[in-house]
Amino acid sequence: MQVFAALLLITHQLTRLAPVDVLILLLYFALVVFIGFYAKGKANTSEDFFLAGREMTAWIAGLSFVSANLGSLELMGWAGAAYQYGILAAHWYWIGAIPAMLFLGIVMMPFYYISKTHSVPGYLHLRFGEAARGLSAISFALMTILMSGVNMFAMAVVMQTVLGWNITFSIWVGAATVALYVMLGGLRSAIINEVLQFVLIWAGAAMIPILGLIEAGGWTNLKAQIAANVGRSDYTHLWSTVGHFSDNPMGVHWTGIVFGLGFVISFGYWTTDFLVVQRVLSAHNLRAAKMAPVIGAAFKMAVPFIVILPGLLALAVLKNPDGSMMHLVPESVAAATGQHSYNEVLPLMLIRYCGPGLLGLGITALVAGFMSGMAGNVSAFSTVWTYDIYGAFINKKASDKHYVAMGRWSTVIGMLVSIGAAYLVMNAASIMDYVQALFSFFIAPLFGTVILGMLWKRATHWGGFLGLLAGTASSIGMFVWVKLNDGALQYIAMSTDAKPMAENLYRALWSWIICVVVTVVVSLMTKPVPTEQLSGLVYGVTPIPDDGATTIWQKPIFWAIVVIVVFFILNLIFW
Amino acid sequence: MDKRKHEVESAELSIWFFCGILMLAYGLVLVITGIVELHNPPPNEVLLPWLESLHPTLWWGLVLSAFGGFYSIRFRPGRA
Repeated sequence: MQVFAALLLITHQLTRLAPVDVLILLLYFALVVFIGFYAKGKANTSEDFFLAGREMTAWIAGLSFVSANLGSLELMGWAGAAYQYGILAAHWYWIGAIPAMLFLGIVMMPFYYISKTHSVPGYLHLRFGEAARGLSAISFALMTILMSGVNMFAMAVVMQTVLGWNITFSIWVGAATVALYVMLGGLRSAIINEVLQFVLIWAGAAMIPILGLIEAGGWTNLKAQIAANVGRSDYTHLWSTVGHFSDNPMGVHWTGIVFGLGFVISFGYWTTDFLVVQRVLSAHNLRAAKMAPVIGAAFKMAVPFIVILPGLLALAVLKNPDGSMMHLVPESVAAATGQHSYNEVLPLMLIRYCGPGLLGLGITALVAGFMSGMAGNVSAFSTVWTYDIYGAFINKKASDKHYVAMGRWSTVIGMLVSIGAAYLVMNAASIMDYVQALFSFFIAPLFGTVILGMLWKRATHWGGFLGLLAGTASSIGMFVWVKLNDGALQYIAMSTDAKPMAENLYRALWSWIICVVVTVVVSLMTKPVPTEQLSGLVYGVTPIPDDGATTIWQKPIFWAIVVIVVFFILNLIFW
Repeated sequence: MDKRKHEVESAELSIWFFCGILMLAYGLVLVITGIVELHNPPPNEVLLPWLESLHPTLWWGLVLSAFGGFYSIRFRPGRA
């Protein structure tokens, strides 16, 4: 998470755009605005506006699902992490995503889909009552709006540092464009732009690894060059170096990777973060809803090619103008010495290989990624605000037309609050660290609550609410403990060799365990929910409808097995 | 629902058409830029002479044009 905050500290302009680059950027903005007006005519009912009419195919929902998580903050941050920590950063794309995405599609999606909920807090309302819904809706609304602001400011800073653009200009142009197309077209507009962004990111970034591998002389030569340049061979191994905290550049242990990242953080994010789940809820039938995360997982496995590989390539080929190896440094050092920082690795590689035209395409992909990040957050905010806060607690009996109007207005107001958040971050960059941490406070316990709600019919309303509350409070408590006393990390990660990255993994794991234990204990002490009220919500009391697949090629489970086999092969290849 | 889905995928503008038309436009811009750069290599290709002989802008422009052209035609408006 620190890598994102560090992006804000880059201080010098890297390049400038040629006229052809500006043309490419303008073409993108023109199409985005056109899509907003085009989608407006199809956003008349609340189902149209908030769930894109539930008529998206599996491919569109799947690409949108993976694209909602493929923002530029992630691209630049993880490319920098790959330079800093080596191929270990790929864990966040593979074990930190693939199993959870498949679990969402095959196990959880039927419940989300057949309950006909509009949101994840909406599911909590059906399963655990108003208190759990209120807690998760308010925390989610706050986080999405802050994240939108963080994306907005990060885009402005990157545009300033890479191209020298004025920060206020970037914030207002980005915000106005996103507000326009989300307000007009709702989720449909956001989804169209996310699919477009996914294609654009590949078009804009794929040249870096292709040309980089040509320059390095292939993967085997690349590994040898990295080992020679950094003086150690653990930068290109995924698993063989995580037997002990001190054996790898990241300072993590395999238990943290597997249980903290691969289980709690990953399952929490991919199965309960409404920003991504909302995309799958837009699918046009149950089979498409199950297939969408499977398709998303297949594409997610390929993303390290354009994110992690450029970071690794930079360790081997990135040179100063005088021909010596360029050494990127942490932000704190870069600010003092004027060197380039880890987080500039993606723009530096882009500038190295891409002349006019290709550079414009790469920059447009980054802008699209930032705008898509804002749009994803603000469209999810608009839905949760309208359904789970306004419609649940303020005005329960308004007409459908009224809720659509509220959705549009909340988009505009949400965007204005995001702009305020962006300026807040501008004046206190450390806020970004806290926003990221705040987001993590809720995700791990929420996964505990949702998964028990779906799989254990004995879980009660009080159990769900108090478990969520206890898990969240314990996560905040551990965060504050480490902030006040660095030595606390050794107790949370259970090793004196643990580094800050390990804290996130183990904090998530502990808060999830606390949530589950409290939910189970309180549920066993309180009155069970009558079984007839759990139909459509819980495994074992819900007949799962047939998804309509007639051949093996149509079955989501078949493709999930194919994806998981490829996942294991990739992990073995880069062991 | 079936009728509505049919309308979305045929009479209306498909999401894939938007992707195709944008990639086609970018592909054509890159092809033209790449042709111009055949005799006027950009600064980064001057610094990296091995890159100049690969003509990445031209080739990537051709790839995007082919991809964009296929999707623009395959998902063109009004196609049944």
